[in-house]
Amino acid sequence: MNLQEIVFALQRYWAQHGCLVHQPWDVEVGAGTMHPETFLRVLGPRHWNVAYLQPSRRPADGRYGENPNRLYKHQQFQVILKPAPKDVQDVYLASLEAIGIDPAAHDVRFEEDNWESPTLGAWGIGWQVLLDGQEITQFTYFQQAGGIDLAPISAEITYGLERIAMYLQDVDDVYDLRWSDGVRYRDVRHEEEFQLSRYSFEQADVELHRRIFDQSLAEGWRVLKLEGGRTVLPAYDWCLKSSHAFNVLDARGAISVSQRAGMILAIRKLACAVAAGWVEAEHARLAPPAPAATEVTRG
Amino acid sequence: MAELLIEIGFEEMPASWLPGLGEGLASSFASLREKHGLSGDGGSSDVRVMWGPRRLALGAGVSERQADADTLVWGPALKAAKDATGAWTKAADGFAKKNGVAPEALLTRAKDANKPDELNLLFVKAVPGRPAGEVLPELLAALLRSLAFPKRMSWDAWLDDGKGAFPFGRPIRWIVALLDGAVIPFEIFELVNAAKGARLLGSGRATHGHRFLPRGSGGAPADVASFDDLIKRLRERHVLLDPAERAARIDASLQTAGAPAHEIAGEWRDLVEWPTVLVGSVPEEFRSLPVDVLETVLVHHQKYVPIPDGNTIARFAAVTNTDGAAGAAIVAGMERVVVARLRDAAFFWGEDRKRTLADRVADLEGVTFHRELGSYRQKAERLEKLVDAMAAAGVLAKDDVDGAREAARLCKADLTTAMVREFTELQGVMGGLYLEAQGGADADVAAAVRWHYHPVSVEETAAPAGAVAGRAARLFAAVSLADKLDTLAGYFSIGEMPTGSRDPFGLRRAGQGVIRVLLDFWPQGSSPDLRTLVRAALAAYPAPAKPPAMPVAEALDNFLLERLEAVLAARGFAVDVVRAAVGAAEPAALENPREVLLRARALAQVLGEAAADFQSLAVAFKRARNILDKDAPATAVDPKLFDHDAERELHAAVVALGRGAGAYAERLVALRSLRAPVDRFFDQVLVMAEDASVRGNRLALLRETLGLFYRIADLSRLGGIA
Repeated sequence: MNLQEIVFALQRYWAQHGCLVHQPWDVEVGAGTMHPETFLRVLGPRHWNVAYLQPSRRPADGRYGENPNRLYKHQQFQVILKPAPKDVQDVYLASLEAIGIDPAAHDVRFEEDNWESPTLGAWGIGWQVLLDGQEITQFTYFQQAGGIDLAPISAEITYGLERIAMYLQDVDDVYDLRWSDGVRYRDVRHEEEFQLSRYSFEQADVELHRRIFDQSLAEGWRVLKLEGGRTVLPAYDWCLKSSHAFNVLDARGAISVSQRAGMILAIRKLACAVAAGWVEAEHARLAPPAPAATEVTRG
Repeated sequence: MAELLIEIGFEEMPASWLPGLGEGLASSFASLREKHGLSGDGGSSDVRVMWGPRRLALGAGVSERQADADTLVWGPALKAAKDATGAWTKAADGFAKKNGVAPEALLTRAKDANKPDELNLLFVKAVPGRPAGEVLPELLAALLRSLAFPKRMSWDAWLDDGKGAFPFGRPIRWIVALLDGAVIPFEIFELVNAAKGARLLGSGRATHGHRFLPRGSGGAPADVASFDDLIKRLRERHVLLDPAERAARIDASLQTAGAPAHEIAGEWRDLVEWPTVLVGSVPEEFRSLPVDVLETVLVHHQKYVPIPDGNTIARFAAVTNTDGAAGAAIVAGMERVVVARLRDAAFFWGEDRKRTLADRVADLEGVTFHRELGSYRQKAERLEKLVDAMAAAGVLAKDDVDGAREAARLCKADLTTAMVREFTELQGVMGGLYLEAQGGADADVAAAVRWHYHPVSVEETAAPAGAVAGRAARLFAAVSLADKLDTLAGYFSIGEMPTGSRDPFGLRRAGQGVIRVLLDFWPQGSSPDLRTLVRAALAAYPAPAKPPAMPVAEALDNFLLERLEAVLAARGFAVDVVRAAVGAAEPAALENPREVLLRARALAQVLGEAAADFQSLAVAFKRARNILDKDAPATAVDPKLFDHDAERELHAAVVALGRGAGAYAERLVALRSLRAPVDRFFDQVLVMAEDASVRGNRLALLRETLGLFYRIADLSRLGGIA
């Protein structure tokens, strides 16, 4: 299968299993988890099943297009099942068959690997799925997001598409992957990897990114606190922007050890406030309309 | 007795938790069976527990029903039960009626055996035992709740046992619960909006085998009848339930594959249900990489067992959870993962060697040791100073000083190499290898750099025992000691000492490393005084902006004393023996820890051989010490001032023993001859004589007597004595 056929197959498979097929979020993110379809939808009681591809930028992992395994930007295929069905592992394993991997012809194991995102105030319990010793999927039962205990519990399935495609196509260099039958991964992405790696490591304006970091957080808080509510979505976008600015500064070597913890905490605080706002709004949306009675005043 | 079978089937549990869970399941079950009155005559020896990555299973005998029991129901006091005429009162009638009998049928007994005159009405209620089938669902709920996981997860589950939400280690997917083949009803419900929801799963008689094997029917349910039947059915479905059987199968297969014993093999036992060993090969082009690098890629990253060939590794053995039928394709996949890693490693090995290690020392400026403690460049400079301090103290042979200083300067330089940045577990090792590879290097310096992060565990046999000798061992000991003392001094000076279970910088391990270097690696015949080195290590740091609240040097002394005690305790010495040996003077414990080890050995040996003798000697020791504690002034003993034979006798004994030399054990045994003179001295002589000079002389005699002990042990620390 070429890369785009793998994406088609996964989209079709998960659509058949009740998932909404969504699109990538249009703000830079470091992982599919940061897409609001995951970070916000796992909060609150509402059931939700969704699948989408998310290009994920990790500036510090950039290798100027020279490393056969490491990328500034890789593609995650992300599935959220809320609540996790009883047969979630079997459903996942069947998805491997949909992309041409017969688990009975391989050594497939679920090995303990818990996940934590300090910037999102999120963590979960789970495994890395190993196929003949190669990690192909991260499987997580979310326990907390934005500092809020989750109920029901969502299962998050994250496929590393390049890894899986390299395995299926039997190539050792990511740039040799067939994206479509006529076009290689190199043709699509190599120049982008070079330019974005060089930008993050050498050219990014540090002072500008510091300002972007600070101002994104400030704007996120400002809009979040506006009278009348319904502002968590723009606030969350600003939170994501601050996170990406942080990643660029980190790759640029511009964050000292002492600054680091403080900056992560600042992002987490906004993420937690957004999560709390979302949950509150969800309750308002889902609760039966309250009888118009006494006026409620806030202290 | 009836046969109980419980199998809890779950999604893959972390392998490292399973042995503890198995143990917990067995012990919880035994106590719950007792508590629920189902133990019958059987002991707990019949409880069998086995496990695999996806299940815990228990087989045991239980009574078919609880024994009948009597419950005492106390009624009103007799005084209130009968009126003046002797007729039953309302209270008595009410109590009798509530229990369904006539008042005449009630007993009259004293509630409190100590107050036989205060009588009450008593109804003895017969409580029939319940059948096991009725009790077991409750027991099962309590059993599931009792399992202790290092980390629990919510999986939206609810138990109807009054406690509600039911977190577990991983989601439970099936439960087999059978009593003599009959299903014990048990249900788990969904947790919805913090309340009980629909039924999630119920107990049954069906287990599940391997997920994928046999092909075509993998994971299909299979009914079982008993514990032995479960083992058999699972074996047919490619699951070995008995961990011991899996371990044996792995060991045998590894042996067949020609893989030598390796500790990583043990980790596989609880990662797979049907262990099958496959062998892959390391392509020729990577075999020239250092064995340490090959090992790291294979063992640390993939858990594969290296199969050596001459002085390289040509193949590796991997444990899979398969039947091996698709072995060739699986091996190809595993080799691909290994090759990708090795290709990185080979690239780093080539690139890193373009510069010498000495050339990299300056780059350490950019590697932070700790933000408040500066860079590794500064650390390396301090290590050199500490080596100089050892030389100044005369504990480092002149010929070793230059080599030790060189090793101190270079030992951290590999932190700037690409190999160590990628494979951090190779720090130190790469430094040694790069030194050897660059040619013209001092092999002993290379060995010291290679091993300087060690020793990391307390056993005498742990690395680098046997790997370094002669000058290499001496250089290693100096650099390793300097590195650890510098780390401890730095963290202590910024108030980051370990507390309780918190030790984020691994300082306890560093402290134990200090002790082990001195016990096991420092050349015989010399020992650096740790107190001096602690102060030198602290002085090597710039003076802190705000002086610490407590004296850091003393805190570090005490910490090292504790670590010394911990190392000796880990080597099997009783805690009081360790304390007594540490508490002795001449030399003080930190002045020479190896002497403490010798003292502890002697104490343990002599205590074991003549405990009773020793005990009474210790009592005398304590009597003398108590008197001396109060009256301190010290003078020399003057035999002319004696006026009791008992004094002369004790003095003669002390003088004779004081001349004694030899091993601690011999000297300690010899001290037993003091028992009679000491006892006589205390019986016949009044220490606190009126004449000040006589009193002072007697105290001086006691001090000398005690001094004999203090050179070997502080006996007041021995159990039952202080």
